[in-house]
Amino acid sequence: MNDTPPTDTNSRIDLTGTDLVETFPRTGLTPDSPNVDIIELPAKPADTVPPTDVLRSSLAEPYPYDLFSHQAKALSALENGDNVAVTTSTSSGKTHIYGLQIARNLLEAGVLNDDGTRAADGNDASTALCVYPMKALTKDQHDALEALYDQLGLDIRVRIYDGDTTGDRRAIRERADVILTNFAGLNVYLEHHDKWSRFYSALDMVAIDESHTYTGIEGMHVAWILRRLQRVAGYWGGGPQYALTSATIGNPQEHSEELLNAPVTVVDQDGSPHGPRDIVLWNPPPRAQTRDETPDEYSLERESEDERAGDTDGTSTDDASEVAFVAERAPASVEAPKVFDHLTARDIRTLLFCPSRKLTELSVRRAAAHRRSNSRAYGRSSASEYEAYNAGLGRRTRHSRENQFKSGTLTGLATTSALELGIDIGTLDATVLMGYPGQRQAFWQRIGRAGREASRSLAVMVGDHRTLDQYVMSHPEYLLETDVEDAVVDISNNAVFATHLLCAADEIALDGKDIDTFAAEDRLRAAVTMWREAGFVDGYLDATVHYSGPGRPQTRVNLYGTTDTDYQLRLADGVDRERWELPEDLDLEPIDRNRAYRDYHEGAVRLQHGQQFEVVAVDDERPQPVIELEPVDCEYYTRSRSKVNVLDAQSERSRDVNGFTLHFGRGTVLVHHHAYDEMYVGNSEPKQRMIPTDTAPILMDTQLCWLEVPDDIEAALIRKYNEYGVETGVDPDQAQIAHLGYVAGLHAAEHATIQTAPLELRVDTNDLGGLATLVMDTHYAHPEYDEIADSVGDSFEAAMAALEQRTRQLGAKPSSGWFIYDGVDGGLGFARAIYENFEALAERARDQLRGCQCGQPNGCPACTFDENCGNDNKPLLRAAAIDVLEHLLGDADRDALESYLPDEYGGERRPRLYYS
Amino acid sequence: MAGTDSVGLLALSSTALERISLSAVRDAVQYFTPDLVTIPGPRDPVAYATVREAARNIPVLHPQLATDGRHVRHYRYTPETGVQETSGECPLHDTIDLLAVQHCSVLSALESQLSTGERRTGSDAGTFLIVPDLAVEWDTTALSTTLPHAEELAAISATLPEPVTVLAGGQPPTYAHEWQLVHNATPVRVPMAGLGATDSADSMVGHCSCTTHGKAVAMAVDCDQFGLKALNGVGEATADRLRGEGCRTKSDVRDLAVSELVGLPGVGRATAERIHAHADVISSGEPLVLTNKTPVKTRDDRPPLCLDIETDGLSPSIIWQFGVYDPATDSYQAFIETTHPRDPAPVLEAFIIWLLANHRDRTILTWNGHRFDYRYIRQFLHRFFPEYVAAWDDLWTYDLYKWAVRDGNALLPGRTNKLDHVARALGYEDASTGLTGAQTATAYQAFMRNPDDPETEPDWDRHRAYCEDDCRALWHVYEAITQANRRDVTDSGTGGADGQQAGLTDF
Repeated sequence: MNDTPPTDTNSRIDLTGTDLVETFPRTGLTPDSPNVDIIELPAKPADTVPPTDVLRSSLAEPYPYDLFSHQAKALSALENGDNVAVTTSTSSGKTHIYGLQIARNLLEAGVLNDDGTRAADGNDASTALCVYPMKALTKDQHDALEALYDQLGLDIRVRIYDGDTTGDRRAIRERADVILTNFAGLNVYLEHHDKWSRFYSALDMVAIDESHTYTGIEGMHVAWILRRLQRVAGYWGGGPQYALTSATIGNPQEHSEELLNAPVTVVDQDGSPHGPRDIVLWNPPPRAQTRDETPDEYSLERESEDERAGDTDGTSTDDASEVAFVAERAPASVEAPKVFDHLTARDIRTLLFCPSRKLTELSVRRAAAHRRSNSRAYGRSSASEYEAYNAGLGRRTRHSRENQFKSGTLTGLATTSALELGIDIGTLDATVLMGYPGQRQAFWQRIGRAGREASRSLAVMVGDHRTLDQYVMSHPEYLLETDVEDAVVDISNNAVFATHLLCAADEIALDGKDIDTFAAEDRLRAAVTMWREAGFVDGYLDATVHYSGPGRPQTRVNLYGTTDTDYQLRLADGVDRERWELPEDLDLEPIDRNRAYRDYHEGAVRLQHGQQFEVVAVDDERPQPVIELEPVDCEYYTRSRSKVNVLDAQSERSRDVNGFTLHFGRGTVLVHHHAYDEMYVGNSEPKQRMIPTDTAPILMDTQLCWLEVPDDIEAALIRKYNEYGVETGVDPDQAQIAHLGYVAGLHAAEHATIQTAPLELRVDTNDLGGLATLVMDTHYAHPEYDEIADSVGDSFEAAMAALEQRTRQLGAKPSSGWFIYDGVDGGLGFARAIYENFEALAERARDQLRGCQCGQPNGCPACTFDENCGNDNKPLLRAAAIDVLEHLLGDADRDALESYLPDEYGGERRPRLYYS
Repeated sequence: MAGTDSVGLLALSSTALERISLSAVRDAVQYFTPDLVTIPGPRDPVAYATVREAARNIPVLHPQLATDGRHVRHYRYTPETGVQETSGECPLHDTIDLLAVQHCSVLSALESQLSTGERRTGSDAGTFLIVPDLAVEWDTTALSTTLPHAEELAAISATLPEPVTVLAGGQPPTYAHEWQLVHNATPVRVPMAGLGATDSADSMVGHCSCTTHGKAVAMAVDCDQFGLKALNGVGEATADRLRGEGCRTKSDVRDLAVSELVGLPGVGRATAERIHAHADVISSGEPLVLTNKTPVKTRDDRPPLCLDIETDGLSPSIIWQFGVYDPATDSYQAFIETTHPRDPAPVLEAFIIWLLANHRDRTILTWNGHRFDYRYIRQFLHRFFPEYVAAWDDLWTYDLYKWAVRDGNALLPGRTNKLDHVARALGYEDASTGLTGAQTATAYQAFMRNPDDPETEPDWDRHRAYCEDDCRALWHVYEAITQANRRDVTDSGTGGADGQQAGLTDF
């Protein structure tokens, strides 16, 4: 949306980061405190171009603003016939780029007269399709486009067509100039493209909004849906141009071209202005490690605990020198509401971004408690003027809170990511982030909500004690680095491709013209042959290939998974929605089998939309497996224990990195989520351990990346860390395992490289897994042996036996290292992206391991721990991991290893050790 | 279906058998009158007993059950003797042989019996190999399929001089694929059809005509089309209640009074009348029109033109035949693309010019045209001759299938709503072209791949006859409907306190 002058008349109060820290009621907290860091960003003026330079006069004259330089550049590129990807900041007027291009097309095609009236009632000449990631945004952008066309005096028919559309859908297809929808809908609508013949034959603009959100699994589905759209549009004679709008990502060209399968011009020089902005990185005060077995103030559930959370504040101090090492801090969920309260108490219009719905509501209560317990600072009379905002509240409540905030009745909203994307709530002064949102672009998107034009704004990020948060806290320059995360889209997943191929054949018969346009020849032929032999298509590519399976293959597409047998999450029968305040449209995305087994076994307690749910039943006997959930209020969450094995890894690419060998390839991953622990929410201490899940192991054919440590480094580090035992976190009876110190280092390095991956790449670490091992070669495919995966079925024991045997057969000394794999059948390109960016990841991982203040040999949740670790985060050794990574990066002195090298290294029989 | 040149094989999977009652199994057997019944899928003694009970005079084949070392069952068919079990000695040359193995692992033993001559088959007529547990496996990650026991299947096929067709228990009845296999470095073509013991086809009853030429012509009917559930308005619960009332067959239902049906829980008057009427329609083979609506409107007294099209598949790239039967003159006009299979324009143009020039005031009738014929004619006109789209839209087009079935205006006696089934149930005698819609598409596809090869050139006369037959069948069904008894069920409730005068029970 374009910048508009502030409409509210609230008095604006400038508050700097320093002011915030100095006024906050906490003894000893000063701007010099080690727990806060203030970054001051100067104002940036607008870079504009008169609209007459770019637009025809009938558009330029009524357009009430100057164009920002990036808008002008994008419009010129579009006029040239290019596809464009615009990656500029939030509220930099990206909607107007495609909005104006659509208007230009309609005028040029003669659908509109120069005065903006319609030349004819129909429109067979120029149509546009706009696709949005969520329905709420579709409505918002519909209003934005209508407002733009009203302002320009253009009679353009902008219509939403999605699952919520009621009334005359046919009239929309046959009469609309611009149709707004989402990819899940488009996937289905493509089947009856003949009903859309008018629309597709005139289609000359496709706008893809928030295109950076299409990564990973969803990204590959979107890439295929766009290829299918291109076939259908081409069939009817339409030849659309594409305009993508995106938050700043590291690889806009590559990402956009992968999505579109077409060249793209990138526009990334932001011409929009912003005022001065202070960013405060706020670490909650450290606290001593507790061994308390009961839930403490961390609890999400108990009102009384919240009161305590408020009360503790008066006594807490911020003198970090008292604690030499910081292994634990107050959680962001407790600290951030206090900052939020402090800001709103000073009449600063503030959004608090929370990771869950429940936390939005809890935060409002915690903030109020903070206000009450600091009455001296805020005065008794001041009432708290904030509310929670989340999708579970129902439309009317949400609208009313949006309006109350807009009008100034409310000073603060505690929200989920629902307000991250462009919903209009007027202007605001400050944002508070409860924890690092995981991605730099999400960080900037959220803090970009505050401040307009020249006004000053403030952003406070309250860190959690986790790897990513603490990395950002100790490396604030990371936030300002210009190259942001790469967005990963990978279309090499064959299972996803094969499903979309069935849809494409159903829409329009496949033939020779699809070779290299829809997919590469070998791949296309292989898939057609497979489906023909399996009985799902008829015919041959040198004539025509028709879908012949059960009706509507489009319904097999699952945007959130790679197979059509993903697990549906649903509420168990008899759940009282009202009592639990669950919305009618509780939207639970289906999950793939690996996540289902890991996170949704019977008895698991998971957070969904901020509500705790217990899995009460799993039915995977049926073709469409179902997981039944019941909302619960309990003091623990669950964490699964896993055994992982990699079988028959086959390298497709490899390269040398300072003597280490890095590989990318495919292989089989055998995972058994065999047991789980119940952990107290309050202190993450176990309530009950090793409860069997009774699920079977899973075999996944997937993509992997792996690293082999050179022999001399391995030999030296084995000796260097020979003495380590219980320090790695293992129980005393396991402390004598040979090479424990070294393998604990590999395990920690594996965790750290996975945990820091989101610093470089838009990946979801929940879809990644790893395995550190001393016997890498055992896990490889060997031409002289049969593949192990073919013979072991899904038996973990059989796989172990086969690996033992393979170790003996191989004889020669194997190398050590670790695997990182995509935890989704067929893979989703994350391992490949990690292969390509490994050094950058290793550097981040090394910095975080080295810089962590925890002072523990085995590390802490902020450096070596991984919440998905199947081995209970044991054994881990930070120092050894740092050494491995230093050598990998070429930053360590190889000669220094000499002293640790045995006279004759190599040839030792080694234990078969691995940790995932 | 003991015809002259094929064996009728009925396949009832054990999952399908779980879903239907014994009387429904009897109904299916009665409907198909097979020469042989088989139960593909896993070993299931109860299923076997059920079918034995339902089909007392027909051989029932469930080799999975064998406990006496008879791992191969061998049936032989001649027109004179029908189907008889044999131990595999001295066949006549022209017998159709059906070999059934207990499971896949018996295939290699069967192969050695055949290659040593220990077991013999008729060399001049097709042999069919029934493998109850055979299913194609595919791996979407590797983009590859695996046909288990391909080596043995290829060996058996190569050993026998006559064509061998594999009937795979674990493939759906709609499955048909010719596998290219290798035996002793020589390519072997092995056609395969399915018998329906699969998850996706577990509600289907499959029927397969096994011809002397070695072809397997399959069809699948939903198992709900048999027994009481075949009746419009009868679901699982009502079927149970009807059985409780002593109804085993549709004739039993017909013999009940409508008022007795109304007494059943969940059955209102209108439903009861519909159930009763449908029982009558199926038993009598006479259609019944339920409303006072007419299927088509015409601008004059002339009957509608009956239209049918042939394409290269379900997502057509060409409509290569347009057939139009004019009942007014009893004449048939066909437009066929016999030279340029990649160019859909010429044949389409010839058709639309002829139609608009000669028959613009005529009403057009199809079977399922709104979902297929009209949809694609319009789509192709839009792409190639947009100038005719408006004129096409002005024509009066009707879809008899939609009117009768989807809109519920009539009850028809067929077990499926496919045109040929409906027409046959209404006494239409078809021209026996031996073709199906899928086969015509496949034949045209072969022509598309090699348009200059006389080997793959379709037998145009036969395809023309097939399309004409469909057009005439449509006319037959239309006439049967227009001449059918007519009762307006929706009016029946107003007839009086007992509703009997205006109800369906009157005739």
